[in-house]
Amino acid sequence: MSLVHRATDPLRWLGRSSTLRLAALLSGLFAVAFILAIFVALSLGEQANERRLDTTLMTLAQSGAIANTRVDSPALILRPLDDLNGLPARFRRAVSTGGGTVETREDLMLSDVWRVLVTQDNAGAPIFVAVPIEDSEDTKELLARILWSTAGVVIVATLAIGLWAGLLAQRRLRRINETLGQLSAGDLTARTGLKQSHDDLDDIAQNLDQTAGELDRLVTQTRHLSASIAHDLRTPLARLRAKLEILPDGDARNDALEEATRLSGMFDAIMRLARIEAGQGRDGFEAVALRDLADDLTETFGPVVEDAQKTLVIDIAAPATIEADRAMLVQAMANLIQNALVHGGDKIILFAKGRKIGVTDNGAGVQPDAFEHMVKPMVRLDAARNSQGSGLGLALVRAVADRHGAQLELTANDPHGLTVTLNFTNL
Amino acid sequence: MRILLLEDDTQLGPWIAAGLREEGHVVDHFEDGKDALIAAMGQDFDLLILDRMVPGLDGLTVLKSLRASKDSTPALFLTALGEVDSRVEGFEAGGDDYLTKPFAFAELSARVGALGRRREGADSADATQTVLRHGDLTLDLLSRKCERQGQQIDLMAKEIKLLEYLMRRPGRLVTRTMLLEQVWDMSFDPTTSVVETHISRLRSKIDKPFEKALLRTRRGEGYVFGA
Repeated sequence: MSLVHRATDPLRWLGRSSTLRLAALLSGLFAVAFILAIFVALSLGEQANERRLDTTLMTLAQSGAIANTRVDSPALILRPLDDLNGLPARFRRAVSTGGGTVETREDLMLSDVWRVLVTQDNAGAPIFVAVPIEDSEDTKELLARILWSTAGVVIVATLAIGLWAGLLAQRRLRRINETLGQLSAGDLTARTGLKQSHDDLDDIAQNLDQTAGELDRLVTQTRHLSASIAHDLRTPLARLRAKLEILPDGDARNDALEEATRLSGMFDAIMRLARIEAGQGRDGFEAVALRDLADDLTETFGPVVEDAQKTLVIDIAAPATIEADRAMLVQAMANLIQNALVHGGDKIILFAKGRKIGVTDNGAGVQPDAFEHMVKPMVRLDAARNSQGSGLGLALVRAVADRHGAQLELTANDPHGLTVTLNFTNL
Repeated sequence: MRILLLEDDTQLGPWIAAGLREEGHVVDHFEDGKDALIAAMGQDFDLLILDRMVPGLDGLTVLKSLRASKDSTPALFLTALGEVDSRVEGFEAGGDDYLTKPFAFAELSARVGALGRRREGADSADATQTVLRHGDLTLDLLSRKCERQGQQIDLMAKEIKLLEYLMRRPGRLVTRTMLLEQVWDMSFDPTTSVVETHISRLRSKIDKPFEKALLRTRRGEGYVFGA
């Protein structure tokens, strides 16, 4: 078994770090909120400024009967409303709306932004008042600059803190992920060893360590148990054999010896299956060229198949080289060939295509709904308990496939026959 | 040969010892690992047959101690632990062969014969030899050519390996399990008649066309090549 994601590529984990994602998300939210706040503050500030200006203008206008006064200075424009000659068109337009902030295309008396108000003097005559507000625009710009740069600093600082916290958490998460990888690769002694921070990550790490310890203990126990079973059963079998061998030669003795051989063969098969199923990791794995394996199997089993008046054909297409336990693969393939020899037709094809290897026959085949049942131990579909074999053949093949993380695929052939494939594609 | 046997089973031990004595070997039988180790350190044996699970010291520890003191006496493990990793442990401890219980006495006898021969140094001399001759049969391992009475015989790769194994042990019993382990590298029984089939093919090539058969079957035991 292998982990879906391994913590190997440093850039990859940066993108996959949940802490970093959270930090980035929070920084982003903070930035948006900050920008909104600046906009609100600036526009509120502007409105307040305009109100203040308008009040000033109003006070100015009502300071006396000034309807006949005409002032045109950089600091103030004051005219009777019916005398707006020489003022830009925008000013006149502002008059129709009762005033407002006017930006001129060109400077009018050194200023391009004016606050305009149409009001009445204290005698009730309509007048036009305008003051330049370039100065306050400058203040606004300064304020905005201060706010923006503060925002920039704060956002960068937030991101940096997020990154730092992310890195700290990531280092421990990585350690946890690496430990899981080692455990799944079969090193049951792997531990995270994390316990300094006393936080939720440490809780996870410690629980993981505890689980790994328990797993290690169970596997060791199972190993010892299977060794004891092997010893306790093989010893009486050996005694039985010894007693049979010293009997006088004869058919009865030979039959009994044959039966004893079959019994210990069956026991060996069970033990082998148990060991493969209990096995861990990739100890003993090596590069196995599927072409060589197929050639080797053909040379070994071809004559056996021929002697049974059948043919063994080899079908090779772009065979890959895979990491595998060669002896286990040979055993699995030998079982498949043996199955095809017993249950198949007159033609057995041994194929190695890409990262797949398997056996196909043109025998009676198997109903697809029986496939799942077939790979269980001790199952023989014909229920013929006296037929050849231990009934462990396909269970062993499945155990070998599982051990390699490969898929065991059973497919029905057209028009009849069975194909069994060990598929290493997803490794 | 002088053989040290370490086997605590009260039925198997005497059976093995008696069988070996019947074949003309001198057998010192021990049931405790410590006694066996003391004996092996003090005396010279031609072969050690060690059970792995015995009282006192286990067989593995006994052999490891002997190998540590530069004792290179051939050793055969006899054990109820037959799985591949146990075998590997046995070989790593310095064992030369590994036989899983239950076994036929002929199997043990054949392996004892093979190991005794190694002690005599015959195998090491042979091992460097690339042209094997037996009577009128010649096998050249480098050119992969086989000849009998001047006639060229075409052999497949596995048949060459099989014939080589047999020719290096003339006159000795070679069992089916030994051939599976050594020629096919299979520590399991493939249930199909792999050995029988290949022996029969080999025989039809090297024996059938000629007058004198070189490869004989010993029923229920194995095969003997040559005289």
